[in-house]
Parts: sequence; C-alpha cells; structure tokens
Amino acid sequence: MKNIILSAKDITKHFPGILANDHINFDLYEGEIHSILGENGAGKTTFMNILDGLYIPDEGEIYIKGKKAKILSPIDAMNYGIGMIHQHFMLVDTLTVLENVILGLKDQGIFINESNISKKINEISEKYNFKINPKAKIWQLSLGEQQRVEIIKMLIRGANILILDEPTAVLTPQETDMLFDILQQLKSEGKSAIFISHKLEEVMDISDRITILRKGKVVGTVNKKDITITDLATMMVGREVFFSFEKKPLDTNEILLKIENLEGYNDRGVKTLKGLNLTIYRGEIFGIAGIGGNGQEELVEIITGLRKATKGKIFLKDIDITNSSPSTILKKGVSYIPSDRLKDGLIPNLTPLENSILKCYYKPPIYNRGIINYINAKKYTENLINEYNVMVPLMNAPVRLLSGGNLQKLLLAREISENPILLIAVHPTRGLDINATEFIRKKLLEVRNSGTTVLLISEDLDELLMISDRIGVIFNGKIVGIVNPNEVDIKDIGLMMGGSRYINNKEGEF
Amino acid sequence: MFIFERRESVPLRLKIMIPIISIIIGLIIGAIAILFLNVDPLQVYKAILIGSFGSRYAFTETLVFATPLILLTSGLILVYRMGFWNIGAYGQYIMGAVFSSYFAIFGSPDLPKFSMLFIMICAALLGGAFWAFIPAFLKALWDVNEVITTLLLNYIALSILRYFMYGPWRDPTGLGFPLSKQFPLNAQLPRIIPNSRVNLGLIFGIIAAVIIWFIINKTKFGYELRVIGGNPRAARYAGINVASKIIIAMLISGALAGLAGMVQVSGVLRVLQIEISPEYGYTALITSWLSYLNPLIGIFVSILFGAFTAGGYLIQITMNVPYGIIPLIESVILFMLIGGEIFKNYKISYLKRSF
Repeated sequence: MKNIILSAKDITKHFPGILANDHINFDLYEGEIHSILGENGAGKTTFMNILDGLYIPDEGEIYIKGKKAKILSPIDAMNYGIGMIHQHFMLVDTLTVLENVILGLKDQGIFINESNISKKINEISEKYNFKINPKAKIWQLSLGEQQRVEIIKMLIRGANILILDEPTAVLTPQETDMLFDILQQLKSEGKSAIFISHKLEEVMDISDRITILRKGKVVGTVNKKDITITDLATMMVGREVFFSFEKKPLDTNEILLKIENLEGYNDRGVKTLKGLNLTIYRGEIFGIAGIGGNGQEELVEIITGLRKATKGKIFLKDIDITNSSPSTILKKGVSYIPSDRLKDGLIPNLTPLENSILKCYYKPPIYNRGIINYINAKKYTENLINEYNVMVPLMNAPVRLLSGGNLQKLLLAREISENPILLIAVHPTRGLDINATEFIRKKLLEVRNSGTTVLLISEDLDELLMISDRIGVIFNGKIVGIVNPNEVDIKDIGLMMGGSRYINNKEGEF
Repeated sequence: MFIFERRESVPLRLKIMIPIISIIIGLIIGAIAILFLNVDPLQVYKAILIGSFGSRYAFTETLVFATPLILLTSGLILVYRMGFWNIGAYGQYIMGAVFSSYFAIFGSPDLPKFSMLFIMICAALLGGAFWAFIPAFLKALWDVNEVITTLLLNYIALSILRYFMYGPWRDPTGLGFPLSKQFPLNAQLPRIIPNSRVNLGLIFGIIAAVIIWFIINKTKFGYELRVIGGNPRAARYAGINVASKIIIAMLISGALAGLAGMVQVSGVLRVLQIEISPEYGYTALITSWLSYLNPLIGIFVSILFGAFTAGGYLIQITMNVPYGIIPLIESVILFMLIGGEIFKNYKISYLKRSF
C-alpha cells in the first residue's frame, strides 16, 4: 500500500459568475505521476493554483502527509515541498541560470555562495541529463531548456511534489520525450508529480493514475491500466469525440503565393531565413512542420509585412508584396492568426466588440465619415459570437477574462469573416481543449473548401497530417522537403525536422 | 498575515473609493505638514474651502484656475489613452503662451479684437503642437522614450521664456522686472462673468473636453488610439499606422496645452511673465489619472484642483501658510492613486495563522 502524500478534501472556489472548483477530492501517492485531465475551463489550473497557494479556497482542506496544511502563498507551498512549474515560466530572461536559481533561495545571507549553488546545478544537471550550463542566460535557452531550469529550481528548493501545468504545450516531440524521462526518473526516486494536460495520448503515456475534471467537478479518478483513450475522451468531454474531417478535392493548380529565395533576420540579429523557396496553390491547406525557431516566425512576419525581408521576393497572385506595409498586405486579403493570441492578436483590456471590429472598423456599415457606428458594430459582434459559438459572459468585460478557446474562436471569427484569399494560422490550436480544437480545425477546413488558401504553421504533427493538403518541413531557414500527408511516414518528417534528411523536389530546392 | 489574490475584475465600488480615499489621505498628510507650522489644519482647510467655494468671487477664482487645467487634462487624456506618456504639457503650455504673446506684444493694437485673438489662438495652438511634435516625431521615427524627451523639453521651454523675459521682450518701462508690457485691449480674451477673471477660456475648455470625449469614444481615430494603447503590436498587425497616429494625437494634445497657455496670459494675467502658472502642466497629470482618463470627469476634477489652487493662494495671504502645502497634497494624492492600483489588481484579506 502506497502512502498518500497529498490529499485535498472538498476544495471549492468561486469566481464572480463561475464555480471554478466544486468540492474537489484528490489524493496523490508517494512516487506517483498523477494526471489531471480536463478541458480548458474545467478548473485544472484553479485547483493547481490552490495547491500552490496562489488562490485561497473558499471551502475545503489540504492535508500533507496526513496533517492539515495551510497553504497561503507559494512560499508556504514550497515549505510543504510543493513546487509548481507554470505554463509561462517564472524566469528573468536577462539573468543567467545560476542567478535565476538563486533568486528563489532563502537563507542566503549577505554573500551568496555562488560556486556551491553552481555545483548543485551541475550535479542535478548531470544526474538527470539536463545539459544546462549555469552561466547561460535564460534568453539563450530554448523553451525546453528553460523548463528544465524551472525543474532545477524546484529540486534545489527541496520539492518532492512537482506540479506541471500543461508542460508539453511549448515543447517539441523530442523535448516532450526528454521531459517524460526526467519525470520517470524523479518518480523512481520517490518524488511525486501532478501532470496537467488535455492531451489524451500524453496522459496515457506518462500517468499512473488520472483524475478527470469537468466543469469544476471531479468526474472520476482512474488507473491508467484500466482505461482506454476513447473512454478517457468521453469522460473529459462528456460525449463521444470524432476526429474525422471531410475534405473536398482540390480543383486548381493556380499559384497563389510564391516565395523566392527569401532571407531575413530575427529580433536578435541572427539570420534565420536563408534563402527560402515556397509555392502555394490556391485553395490548399499548406502545412509547415518544424521545430520552433527554424524561421517559421520570421517567415510569417515577413509575409504579413510585420518584418522586413533582406533578400528575396514574395508574390501574392503575381503581385510583388515584398516589404509592403501590413495594411497594404491586409487589404490584399491576407489574414493572420498569430501564435500568441493576447500578445499579437487581441487587445486584452478592450471588450469583445472592440476586438471584433479590428479588421473592419474602417469600412461601412461600421464606419461612416470618421465616426464608428457602435450600433452596427454591436450587431456585427453579436453575429460573430453566435456563429462561432464564443462564450462571452459579459459584453462589456475585457477579453482577457475569456478562456483560451474562446479567445481563439473570437480571433478566428474576426479573421475569417473578412473572406481572406490567404489565411495564415500559426499554432491555431495550441493550448486549446478538444472541443475548441475540433471546432478550429473544422473551420479551417471550411474556409479551405470555400476557396481560401491556408498556410498552417503548427508544431502538432497530428494536426498537420489531419488537415493539410501538403506539408513542407522547415529546417534552418529553408524548406527542406514537401510531402503528401496521405503517403508520408511520420518518422521521415521527424528526421527532416531534425535536419538529417532532405527531399529534393521542385519547391524544396535549396 | 495578508493574503494577496489576483482580481479578475475591478468592482465599481473600488473605482469610486480609491480616488476619494486618495484625496482624504492627501489632506491628512497635508494636515501633518501644517501642524509643523503651528497652525490648526482644520482652520486652514476651512479657509481653503471658503477661498474656493465660500463666495461668488471665490468660486469664480476656482473656475479661473480650473480653466487651463481642463484644457491640459483633455489633451493629456487623449495621448494617455494611446499609452504615450507625455509629461511635457508644462513645456507645451509655455510655448503656447510665448507664441501667442508675440502677437500681443509686437502686433498692432489697432487690429480688430476678433482678428487679433484669432491670430493669437492659432499661434498658441501651433506653438504647443510644435513643442509636442518634437518628442512624437522622435518616438515615431526612432522609438525614443517620450518620458525623457517631453520632460527635458519642459526645461528648454522654460529657458526660452526666461530668455525673452530677461531679454528682448522685457517691458522697457517695467523697472527691470522680467515682464512684458501689458497686453493691449485687443489682445485680451473677453471675460464672461462680470466682476471676475473667468474668461472665454472656460468655454474653450468645456468644448475641448466634449470634443476629446467624442474623438475617443465615437470616432475611427479614437478607436485606433485605444487599440494602440491596449496593444501596439496588435494595432500594427491590424494595419494601423502607429507612428502617424502618435504624431496626430500629440499635435492635438500639444495644441490644447498651448491654448491653455494663451488663455492664461491673455485671459487672466494679460501680460507675459516668468511665472505664468502654478505648475499646471504637472497638476494636469494628476487630474488626468484621477478622472480615469475620461475628459468629462476631467472637467470636475479640474474644478476640484482649481479650488485647491484658489484656496491655496488665500491661505498664503490670510494665514501665512505657504502655498507649497497645495502641491504637497496634490502629489500625495497622485502617490496614493498609483498605490491604489494594488487594490484594483489584488483582493487583499487578512488571515490569522492558526499554527
């Protein structure tokens, strides 16, 4: 019989208008990886924030090793050995790994024993095969490496219960495997982990037990051995889920977008596009696969006019749009769903209405002689919200209060409603739950079937294989191969993503 | 121990209470300072109240001091809504006064009053706008931090004013004081309430506040401003030309500040001098935030601060309490207002540790 290390009893938390956690009961054994599975808005993150002391529950108690615990802040949580790794890392970009680790340590006195801590970091690093240099600055590290720094922080502070909030959302498949190896090793040492996710495959892969949340309530806790992935999906969503989409065959080979020998630099002045060539046909969904940081971001920003190309040409329907202004490109019918919804796509503190009209506020019926007709704008917004099934509790509240899925639906609605000829979607379903993901993918196929071309950039290979007509693999600033999703072996894509295989063909020439 | 919990939304009650409590704390700290002077603070506050609202004359003086504030506040709110931190209203105000005074001092006293005032108003709008254009242009072109540029331009504007006052524009018959000659009658903004200094500027201010409110809330330009203020990256990607909007908004903001300067010299002082404002340019920062960046609320907040100024001058004369108390109270209010943000972002409760 295993020991229960953490136990939550009847945890309840209200937020204005919603019951985020409704009498949640949860047990965590020593040396277990326990997943919490649920859709966005199911209350996973709220529950974790309660365990970490960021929120105080309205009702309920937490017991650590059988004793009642009062967790009022993350410091308290740390004292009980609970360490949380947030979805957005809590690291100072301009400081080194070492300095970030020191930041959270107590009892340091006036002089900090850096070499001692540095030694500890190296020890942990070696033990778990982290490959982290304590002197590296955070901004130089990949997201996967940054996550490992967070884990180091927690281990040095003596955590034996790790909470990971959607840790794989930002990782490549390889980095995810690495994280899982680390978790398994920690488990074998008797440490416990709470793993939050809505990705069924991952949860089945890593967990010992799984607790499913829906609408703030526990639907059930199951042993992984006793359940199938379909049952899990049904428990999570409350209905059966089908991942199948209808695709109309393409009827054209008219070239819509042609990119020739494109070069460009990232924000740090590193050349990330090194002569990229690409041809996209009208009406297709062209997927771009690749590990983050191989030039995807720069490619998209150059097409949309947000970044300057230093060399090369881009033609949209034979018109040269290279280095045109964003508004010129926008008016030619290019829409864009950026990867960071709140940072690039929406205005967090403005209302759904003000966010919805961003792409059409200068046109009738919303615009009339310098004035915005807010009555028409309201009608327009209500139509969008209804058509795309966006859950908006309060029309006057800022959109930052909406959940990720609803934000993405709103953004997609806004971008599609302008009937673009080219829709660029970057990680459109990242961080979304099954329902929202399904909805977004369906909509992307819908616009494709109605003749819009879609350039889809995603790190989710399953998604690319599911809805793309062709997939191009980007590596080191070039398209290294273009494959047909119906015929390709996923391993080949993986190898191309890693740069160890090239397929030469007309579009992929380099 | 105190528990901080992030708030999802701010209750209206807090939005109302924070400014009120900020003002009360400002008054309490002012009272402590007054105690050091061995004066009864309640008597002082009573005198301020009488000196600002106690009589018809007192109230007109309050309106006189509120007039430039309303104009300045409206202008600042416009650029604050787009996240452009203009703290150069002080300098823009001076430039408005300087530009318009040129015509009052050197223009023909025989010009019809309407034409003269029209020229002076245009000059003031241009002067303020010119001074605001410099930082806006630097921001738009090279992303130069506007806080630094607008602040430094204030000192340059002050030096320019000093140069003219000690130099070419000094009244030769003025016994050496750094003053211009008295403005001729055709350069004096008409007064609209008999036996008071309340002038046409008050009407300008109210019209400006209404127009700015309209621009922000109803027009395409105002919508673009709010988008830029909320998320400049999203604005750029939506095709908004951020640089040009910054310049236009700053031109309007500076022009209103310049007009405030003209109203003061032409409507109240009727002479250009070194001291042309009780730091209106900085007080307007406070009134802007106190009115939640709503120019209509700004009118009333400006009247409140006008009252502080009117009352402050009175206590200086009648009770020998230095006017410095007033800026002290005002700055404590701003301090509290900024500190009050924490209550808007976090729900704070007290919990006893039971172990």
